[in-house]
Amino acid sequence: MTFGRFFLRRMLMVIPLMLGIVFATFMLVRIGGLDPVGLLAGPTATAAEFDLIRGELGLDKSLFEQFFIYLGNLLQGDFGESWLSNRPVLDDMLDRVMISLELLLWGVGIGTLIGIPIGLRAAFRPDGSFDHISRFFSLLGFSIPTYWLGLVMLFVFFYLLGWAPPGVGRIGLIMSPPPTVTGSYFFDALIAGEWEVARSAASHLVLPVICMAIVSSAPIIKHTRAITLEVLSNDTVRYAKASGLPKDVVKRIVLRNSTVPILTFVGTEITGLVGTMSLIEFVFAWGGLGEYGLAAIVRGDFAAVQGYVLFLALFSVIVFLIIDFVVYLIEPRAELT
Amino acid sequence: MPDGANFRAEAAPLPGFSVTRRIAGMSRFSPTAAIGLTIILIFGILALGSNIFMPYDPVSSFPERVLQAPNADHWFGTDGNGMDVFSRVIYGARYGFGIAIPAVIISLLIGVPVGLWTGYRGGIGDEVVMRFFDGLRVFPSIILALAVVAATGQSLINVIIVLGVLDSPVFARVVRSEVLALRSSVFVESAVAAGNPTWRIMFVHLLPNAIQGAMAQTAVRAAWAVRISATLAFLGVGIQAPTPEWGAMIRQGAEFMVSGQWWVALFPGLALIMLVLGLNMLGDGLQDFLNPRRRSVK
Amino acid sequence: MLEWNYMKRGALAAAALGSTLMAGPALAATLVVASPNTPEGFDGDALRPHTQNAVVQTYEGLTKYGRMMKDGREVLDPSKALPHLAESWKVSEDGKTYVLTLRQGVKSPYGNELTADDVEWSWNKSFDQKRTGNFIATVSNVEAVKAVGKYDVEFTLNAPSSIFLKALTLYVPGIYDSTEVKKHVTAEDPWGLKWMENNTAGFGAYHLETLKPGDQAVFIANPNYFGPKPYFDRVIYKQIPSGASRVTLLKTGQVQWIDRPAIQQVLDMQKDPSVKIEKATGRSSAAARMNPKCKPFDDVRVRQAVNYAIDAELINKAVFGGTATLAKSVVPPIVDGYDTSAFTYDYNPEKAKALLAEAGYPDGFEMDILYSDLWWHQEPVAIQIADQLNKLGLKIKPVKLIGSEMRSRGSPKVMDMCFFTFEDGPIVLDPVYTMYLIAHTKGVSNRGAYSNLKVDALIDAGRQELDADKKNEMMKEAQKLWIEDAPWAMTVYSATFEAMNPKISGWVHYPDEHERWADLTMK
Repeated sequence: MTFGRFFLRRMLMVIPLMLGIVFATFMLVRIGGLDPVGLLAGPTATAAEFDLIRGELGLDKSLFEQFFIYLGNLLQGDFGESWLSNRPVLDDMLDRVMISLELLLWGVGIGTLIGIPIGLRAAFRPDGSFDHISRFFSLLGFSIPTYWLGLVMLFVFFYLLGWAPPGVGRIGLIMSPPPTVTGSYFFDALIAGEWEVARSAASHLVLPVICMAIVSSAPIIKHTRAITLEVLSNDTVRYAKASGLPKDVVKRIVLRNSTVPILTFVGTEITGLVGTMSLIEFVFAWGGLGEYGLAAIVRGDFAAVQGYVLFLALFSVIVFLIIDFVVYLIEPRAELT
Repeated sequence: MPDGANFRAEAAPLPGFSVTRRIAGMSRFSPTAAIGLTIILIFGILALGSNIFMPYDPVSSFPERVLQAPNADHWFGTDGNGMDVFSRVIYGARYGFGIAIPAVIISLLIGVPVGLWTGYRGGIGDEVVMRFFDGLRVFPSIILALAVVAATGQSLINVIIVLGVLDSPVFARVVRSEVLALRSSVFVESAVAAGNPTWRIMFVHLLPNAIQGAMAQTAVRAAWAVRISATLAFLGVGIQAPTPEWGAMIRQGAEFMVSGQWWVALFPGLALIMLVLGLNMLGDGLQDFLNPRRRSVK
Repeated sequence: MLEWNYMKRGALAAAALGSTLMAGPALAATLVVASPNTPEGFDGDALRPHTQNAVVQTYEGLTKYGRMMKDGREVLDPSKALPHLAESWKVSEDGKTYVLTLRQGVKSPYGNELTADDVEWSWNKSFDQKRTGNFIATVSNVEAVKAVGKYDVEFTLNAPSSIFLKALTLYVPGIYDSTEVKKHVTAEDPWGLKWMENNTAGFGAYHLETLKPGDQAVFIANPNYFGPKPYFDRVIYKQIPSGASRVTLLKTGQVQWIDRPAIQQVLDMQKDPSVKIEKATGRSSAAARMNPKCKPFDDVRVRQAVNYAIDAELINKAVFGGTATLAKSVVPPIVDGYDTSAFTYDYNPEKAKALLAEAGYPDGFEMDILYSDLWWHQEPVAIQIADQLNKLGLKIKPVKLIGSEMRSRGSPKVMDMCFFTFEDGPIVLDPVYTMYLIAHTKGVSNRGAYSNLKVDALIDAGRQELDADKKNEMMKEAQKLWIEDAPWAMTVYSATFEAMNPKISGWVHYPDEHERWADLTMK
């Protein structure tokens, strides 16, 4: 199968999935008992205003019509307007994407750099003491509530020791953000040569990124270990061992065979960690997409909730597609499974 | 890899397969699971006997003792409402189990039949259900749970139902894959040949053999339910103050954490970690023990 | 393509914000305020969270209160309304027509001069919206507003009003630069409300420069302001959702002002030399409201029983650290006409039990008490009240609502909450205004569907009574009836605390509980 055909097939499969996702997000805010009109109209609104807003939102139409209007709007890039910010939801979200992505990539990146070597080492000596300790830490990582970890770290490193800045935002409050190039304050400040700002941005990144890394490394350790163990027990490796190849060569074979499944897992993991990221943003007042989405959910900002959930789903779909393509490029026959 | 096939061939003809016997045997093989089970039992005793262990009513206020640091009267201090944190942490175990157990039961009640049906019948129905489950995976579970609970109304019952429903695909998948493997085995084929109706094959012949994979998942899923329900409460969705639920207590304490009153959030957090860790340890051991593939790689 | 455009726009906006911040003047003249929210709109007629904090800075009244010294600090003098945007006024003999002459040369940041047309347009906007501004018009008997010259504007009242001149001190109906607003109106939106969601156009000391919802709003001093030039020429209104973080930022000097700290934080900061705390007796009652339309609150004895059952002193201790004042009058102490003589509900659990038994509830009843996060004390007050009532054998459960849901369910059209905590107080320092707001069937802060026609009649008569003593007498009578009806458990007036950098001085307490940035200086 050529890459072109593979690409086309994958994209075609995405269309019904996207429709389903859009329908699910559409229904999400309509299954509940909260009336968006009451919230939008606010106090002292008259009955006429209620009807007016109901009409503006199209809520007087049938559910079926409403869905197609919603779909039509989405296709034109209209995600509706947030009543908390009075701005188009899409603008709100695009402003915040890079902010969140920075935290997510740093966190998962470091989590991966820690997780994979630990998982590999544990797998090469199963049931050794290193394996037991790493396994316990991985279980602990699964069990610690992210937000609590963030709070405890703030207490220790900010309140007690004074090493970390208060958990508010991405740079010192009175600092001016550097000119936007990448959207990451840290890199933008480096590009602009504003060392103080870069230092501040880095110091604000430390605690949330550590939180994120701890939580994301737990599943990576666990799965790297499991995947590697499985590879170790397959016939190629057994044969390589049996034929007396040097240890390093065997290790290389194992690594080559476990790269794809581990990468696939890390990729999938990124999408699952978006929830964790939102919680960390909430605790550290990070001001990104995650915090925006949580605020929207907690305060009943319907258009923003829809937009946020849809955005996350889109993000997952895109990540899954990228994984598929990367795996195909590394190992075209994997597609057959 | 012949191990998996061997295991099934050996398990299938055993009608008196007992999960409990295996769990009892497990502690000998897996100290992890045994520690996990011990932790869970301790919390279980705390939850059942909370009235004996709690020095005070967990939702009764001492208006003159607001935010006291841990002391002889209040071992874990008092919170912003003047309530005893120690009593509240103990009572919180009830919410942990009270949410996790029914949520997992709901997941099983939905997931197992769906898994049996899709695995046994296959075809278009199977395809549709599996695609639907795949679709659900694009939403991060915590965000989905949060949005659904916020939209459907904020009550304890709602939290339990939503968690139970959202987690049911896990069990459906596990059961389905077991059934797929068992479908063409000798004992099922002979049951079909004997003219048994579909429901009988599904529930009498397949279920007892396919359920072990699902049972292996229960502890881990219970851990998930405890964790997610606490997260919802932390965000102020679902369970509200002054309910002595751990997540809600951490929420209350969050404000005080950076002004030095650490005890309000610390203790419920530690309790939460302990219980979730216990469930995860048990789950880890259970999976190793009941899941033939994982055991074989060990 | 489309997405790219959006991205570009976002990037440009961010770059613009960055450059304006950098191009800003020396830090000494910048005030950074930490608040839980950025304003969700700038229309004083449609108050949303933190709208009020902003519009009091950008829109100023035709009149203003006098000021006097009290306990070594400058405070408002509620008895006098002095000229402000209006230079002078004439009243007709029947007290029903006022002609106000505007100060000349007052200019908005857009450079347009204030004229009588602006005043007429602004009041018509409020009349048309039928919201807060319209309520102010109703309570002060204003029927029509007309420009009768370039600087002369005529107010027609349907009856003499004791409140009118004081009502003109308010930011609502705000006086808009109508020349500017009209550039942004559309056929569906004749008053430019859409534009006002993200912009201001007033004659006040400040105006909105940039807004990044959920992050910050930047205000700059109006370069054409007619009054003395404010000390701070830039105010950054920064969203910091966590109260504890706001305190930290203040302590570390990163912000100079924080929005209404919770009491526990106040007590904590009072010990800290890096923070200055100022206090004023509050005018808002942190009350629990009982809706007489709900069973069992339809029985007055039950409402009275709840009043007797609540130990307000204990709530003061537990929730307010003892800093609040026990509430014994609908009209708060800051207002002329404060009178506690009608209050009878001293803590008396025995009497509460007897009244409950008499009403047919010897074993109590079940009920949810609703609260939200609109005010920090709503939750602890609800919890304490529930706790106290439960100790008497009732079954009260605190339940949280979203802030905006609570606001909308308390609006005159709905009013379906049975038992809930809230905070309300008058923004006009007048007893009739206070009573109309809270106790009148049509009051916008009634919220709990209380209605007593005798009380209404007394208040309506009071609105036309120009003699202060007679007016206060009428309100005393109305208050007596209201207290017998017991629709609220009043508990306490929460004190107003402002926490600021120790170098800041000049704060004056306003009845809307919002500082005026133009008052502040930093040495």
